[in-house]
Amino acid sequence: MIGDRSFGLVCLEMALLLLAGPLVTGTIQKIKARLQCRTGADLLQPYRDLAKLFRKDSVQADTASGFFRSIPVLVLAATVTAGALVPVIRVGPPALPLGDAILLLGLLALARFLTAIGALDAGGAFGGMGASREMTIAPLVEPVLMMVVFSTAVAAGTTELGALAAHRGTEWLLAWRAADFLGFAAMLMLLPAETGRIPVDNPDTHLELTMLHEGMLLEHSGPGLGCMLLASHTRQMVTLALVSALFFPAGPAGTGAASLLLGVGTSAAKILVLAIFLALVESSYAKLRLFRVPQYLGIGFVCALVALALRIL
Amino acid sequence: MSADTVQSIIDDLGALLLFTMILIVAAGQIYRAIYAVAAQSLLIAIAGGVLAAATGNVDLWVIAAITLVVKATLLPWVLHWVVQRMNVRREIEPVIPIAGTLALSVLIVVVSFQVSASLGPVRQAITGNALPVGIALTLTGVLVMATRKTALTQMVGLFASENGIFFTAMAVSQGMPLIIEIGVILDVILAALVMTIMVLRVRSTVDADIADLDRLRG
Repeated sequence: MIGDRSFGLVCLEMALLLLAGPLVTGTIQKIKARLQCRTGADLLQPYRDLAKLFRKDSVQADTASGFFRSIPVLVLAATVTAGALVPVIRVGPPALPLGDAILLLGLLALARFLTAIGALDAGGAFGGMGASREMTIAPLVEPVLMMVVFSTAVAAGTTELGALAAHRGTEWLLAWRAADFLGFAAMLMLLPAETGRIPVDNPDTHLELTMLHEGMLLEHSGPGLGCMLLASHTRQMVTLALVSALFFPAGPAGTGAASLLLGVGTSAAKILVLAIFLALVESSYAKLRLFRVPQYLGIGFVCALVALALRIL
Repeated sequence: MSADTVQSIIDDLGALLLFTMILIVAAGQIYRAIYAVAAQSLLIAIAGGVLAAATGNVDLWVIAAITLVVKATLLPWVLHWVVQRMNVRREIEPVIPIAGTLALSVLIVVVSFQVSASLGPVRQAITGNALPVGIALTLTGVLVMATRKTALTQMVGLFASENGIFFTAMAVSQGMPLIIEIGVILDVILAALVMTIMVLRVRSTVDADIADLDRLRG
């Protein structure tokens, strides 16, 4: 298998996704704060939070089993591995057999499953409630994500994300077919759900009525909580990178250091645009009632399904 | 503009039209449905403009302009005014759950594409996917009319259905004769006015809505 992305480049992309994840969260929080006429915390605040958490000791509920301690590490590992499968700096298939979009979705689902298991394991009421809600939402989110990926994969004839991105080519917006518009619309509806943001979830609060993802983190502490937070930053980053790989994968083709830098710059710009979109959506909508969420995600599902129908029929 | 460019633009507009139709079906509040139908009419006007520029047909320019003024601006404004005037509950009351309506609309889209695919060589003469998109819009508009209890949302369904017929006519046969198009537009305005007056009258005299009328027995 001859690919365009060497092992080193894949590692670099993975490290970039991991390291820049908290920065994206910080950016979104900053934009939200500015929109609410607050100064807001510094862009680097998520890094400080993580550093503080990693210095602390961890405490654990008496009811939790030994497996509970390993959960944050496993969740982080699954999410970071998923990050290796997304092309960030350059398009094209990797030089080594890595895995495709289906594996990526599977790894994200595994991380979600482990988070829920951890929340149930600790035996807290909030954790159980958060897990039950998350597991209600997950089967609605994941099929839509799969449909969107498939609707672009049908056109390219492959599910490998690098090859998918390469197939779309550099003149991405002009080459958009009808199905791409619907797929992109579905993806935009899905993005807040996948990154745990308003209108589906509220990342800022620990009130029991509003939380989905945060409820499952309550029992974790110290480095474990740090790992979970880092995993959710990385997950958001992986999702944003997936969107840009599927819909606007414009990147330079050269191999030198200059084109590498250019690639980092373009992908940073794309992710910044998506982050601004998320911040605007979060600032202008209210959180949906939990029972309204299926209807909201239903719109995304229908859009993705029609996109697939447009491709096939 | 080359024929391929026009075809791909019409295809893209068709996808966006389907998206606005999904929004109309899924809207939980009357205002959102009204905005979505206004956006849909705006897209129809753009499609008319594109086809007019491509074919050099002056009638299509006129039709696009009328669509822009009447259907994308005037009728949504009238609907908006009625909603404010009536002080109605702003939530849409569906007969069957909205998720069910969404599933039915997917079925309609798939069936209309399937039916049009069986046309084979005839379809090649028609601009891109305009025919199946038009059929899907028309049928989904009828679906919206059939599954909503209040008169206002049924009007939104009627406008969406009308948009579908318009889109099909424009893309398939490059527009009907101008006089017919104007007649159709006038019909729609008249229907909207009559329905508006009726809704307001019924509301002010007996405080009932369309769904309550089936309790009338002769």
